[in-house]
Amino acid sequence: MVVTNVAVLKPRSADELANILREAAEDGKAVTPVGGGRAATMGGLLERCDVELHTTGLDRVIEHTASDMVVTVEAGIQVEALQEHLARSGQFLPLDPFNSPGHTVGGLLASGWTGPLRLRYGSARDFLIGIRVALPDGKLASAGGRVVKNVSGYDLMKLHGGALGSLGVIVAASFKVFPRPLRDVTVESHDGWVAVAHVFSLPMAPAALELFSDGRVIARYFGSSDAVDVTVRATGWAETDGTVWREHSRSALTQWARIATPRDALRRVIESLPQGARWWCSPGVGVAHWSFGDAEELVRVRKTAEAAGGSLVLMAAPDDVKQKVGAWGTPPPTLDVMRRLKDAFDPDHVLNPGRFVV
Amino acid sequence: MPLAPQVIEELRRVVGKDHVVDGADDLRIFERDASIEGAVPDVVVLPANTQQVSDVIKVAARHGIPVVPRGAGTGLSGGAVTIRGGIALQVTRMRRILEIDPVAQTALVEPGVVNQELSLAAAPHHLFYAPDPSSQKACTIGGNAAENSGGPHCLYYGVTTNHVLGMEVVLADGSVHWVGGDAPDRVGLDLCGVLVGSEGTLCAITRIKVRLLRTPPSIATLLAAFPTIDTASQAVSAVIGSGIVPAALEMMDQVTVGAVEAHYRAGYPTDAGAVLLVEVDGIQESTRELTVAIRDVLSKNQGYAMREAQTAAERDLLWAGRKGAIGALGRIKPNYYLHDGVVPRSRLPQVLSAVGEIGEHYKLPVANVFHAGDGNLHPNILFDMRDGDVLHQVEEAGEEMLRAVVELGGALSGEHGIGLEKNAYMPWIFSPDDLDSMHRVKDTLDPGGILNPGKIFPDASRKHVRLAGRTGFAVEAKWW
Repeated sequence: MVVTNVAVLKPRSADELANILREAAEDGKAVTPVGGGRAATMGGLLERCDVELHTTGLDRVIEHTASDMVVTVEAGIQVEALQEHLARSGQFLPLDPFNSPGHTVGGLLASGWTGPLRLRYGSARDFLIGIRVALPDGKLASAGGRVVKNVSGYDLMKLHGGALGSLGVIVAASFKVFPRPLRDVTVESHDGWVAVAHVFSLPMAPAALELFSDGRVIARYFGSSDAVDVTVRATGWAETDGTVWREHSRSALTQWARIATPRDALRRVIESLPQGARWWCSPGVGVAHWSFGDAEELVRVRKTAEAAGGSLVLMAAPDDVKQKVGAWGTPPPTLDVMRRLKDAFDPDHVLNPGRFVV
Repeated sequence: MPLAPQVIEELRRVVGKDHVVDGADDLRIFERDASIEGAVPDVVVLPANTQQVSDVIKVAARHGIPVVPRGAGTGLSGGAVTIRGGIALQVTRMRRILEIDPVAQTALVEPGVVNQELSLAAAPHHLFYAPDPSSQKACTIGGNAAENSGGPHCLYYGVTTNHVLGMEVVLADGSVHWVGGDAPDRVGLDLCGVLVGSEGTLCAITRIKVRLLRTPPSIATLLAAFPTIDTASQAVSAVIGSGIVPAALEMMDQVTVGAVEAHYRAGYPTDAGAVLLVEVDGIQESTRELTVAIRDVLSKNQGYAMREAQTAAERDLLWAGRKGAIGALGRIKPNYYLHDGVVPRSRLPQVLSAVGEIGEHYKLPVANVFHAGDGNLHPNILFDMRDGDVLHQVEEAGEEMLRAVVELGGALSGEHGIGLEKNAYMPWIFSPDDLDSMHRVKDTLDPGGILNPGKIFPDASRKHVRLAGRTGFAVEAKWW
């Protein structure tokens, strides 16, 4: 990246943010949106960055009607602050990304990062019900709404989610929230894949289940007391403190990659990792995170993951590794369609040039 | 304007002459979906496979002819109506279930597969397909994906988009693509997510990969009566507020219950102001405990005459009443106009009382049967098409109801789509900039505007209904 004098700007309102974006675009300046910076290492090397556009000045809860189980927030609010707000009403959002704390809601949506609770609740994609985005021409465009079920207009939540700020800057979002589970129990085993298979054969599925490279497995059950208790007994595992999840959400490595495959292919791909590799995974989702060694390993494992219909993307890697192997791997066959959409939203390619797939 | 004979000839070459319909009488069959407004297509084409869909669209693109994909025609917003003429692309010959993978818990289907048939086919593997529109005996998975359909059990399980893993689609230039797929976190933009629910305006869908879920070992279905719609609405909020999200939470008002009971004899209490149908599923320990908790909440909120289905047959009967409710309304009037607004759940009492007042004002009976847990109301305005100018009155009443929905912070459609029915109202909830950003997607994927034209976006070439022409409303209704 050519480092010039990067202007660091932190607007206090969506309108102000949109104006900055428009002015930068008009001047042909490259803009990197920044939330909490927790996923800043993701993606390809930036070709240019003239303006760092921080969203952390936009950190209000716009509306939370507890009885409607819907919350609307500005994008720069931190996930922890939002959870704290919701907890006062006995509610929560199943957002538990790695490299926590400090993700902003907008950054999390843009990066598409997820955590263990995805097993039960899906990713943010599944409960994001409205979005507002600043576009490079200065327009603020919304889609969706603040009702839990809505097919009015195109689902542009899907377009901007996971797009890593390449089409616009998310300034606000609405979510369907969830009641805190009636009972929440965590259990632990050290029997690796055997234990995983046992738990998935039980009639009630866990809300989260994580397997680690040392054979440790932690699972979390949500539900009615009777159902959770009978299931926990059926696992035969030891109960453990629920704080293991907070520790786990802090997981982040100096160089790591995310492997995503169809669920039934994950084990095979993980077994192709180098001897002694450090990793953890959500077998019920099909996602693993791996602390890779060098570029050659990456290329080999990526090949295996892609052959299984999946992907390997870099979460954090030294510049020379990114340059050598690429952050994203083989581009999707629909790349041309994606490029045309990029051009429709960011015709001058001022947003995050070089960082995303388009 | 009828199509040139040479175009019909080209289409015959693509799908075979037996699969092109262009006789005036035969075309009438494809005039409508299950909504109010119809339009006769110029030609109906029934492709057998993806290649043929692609070739049909290439013919249409070459001649600039509209193409409207169509499944079972059960849609409620005019999505399958060829309002600008052209080709109705009838996909019901493509109705194979190509694969059910019990290990991966997925199915690959062609677009013409009927929703319920998929769940029946998955049942031997103890799997089911969750989205269950009330028309599930007839509607197709392709239509469901195009409309992002819902259903009673979407309260817990989510709507169609939450269950579609990937699709094979044909774009407006006839090119064939796979979007999405089995693996999570796919690289690049989530095209699959954008195309689900795009109502045939961005692509034709030729294959769909869906997620199947494990059949719950235990299901408890509970019926409860309430003195009024208000008390029933309070009970809905109280159940959800207690930390329980049931699999389904449905409400029927007295008008509906009367018609349903006369038709199905399901044992619904006809004296009640409203009836709730609540279902929880999971392992037995869970359903047993949750049922006790829900009964408690319901009775604290004036619920009475509670009845739990004791057998699968009883449960089916309770659901037959709910899912067949709209048909049963035919006992009151031969026609209905079904609306689909969504409000924040706590606004249900207000919106339902507004709906009642609007019905009274127009002297039109209104029957409410809807997904209360989601705040997704379905007022049915009942009428007889043969009564003079009634249709105009019905449209005005429907429009006022939608207006009430929007004024309470709601949205135009929860699961039926915008289509032709509500496109004039889009400026009520979206600003010009919002619509512009949606239009960028449309213009990028269908620059010639041949795919299902005249839908979703306000259409200046069509009549403006009374309130739709009002300006300045989007600003005041803005939800940010």
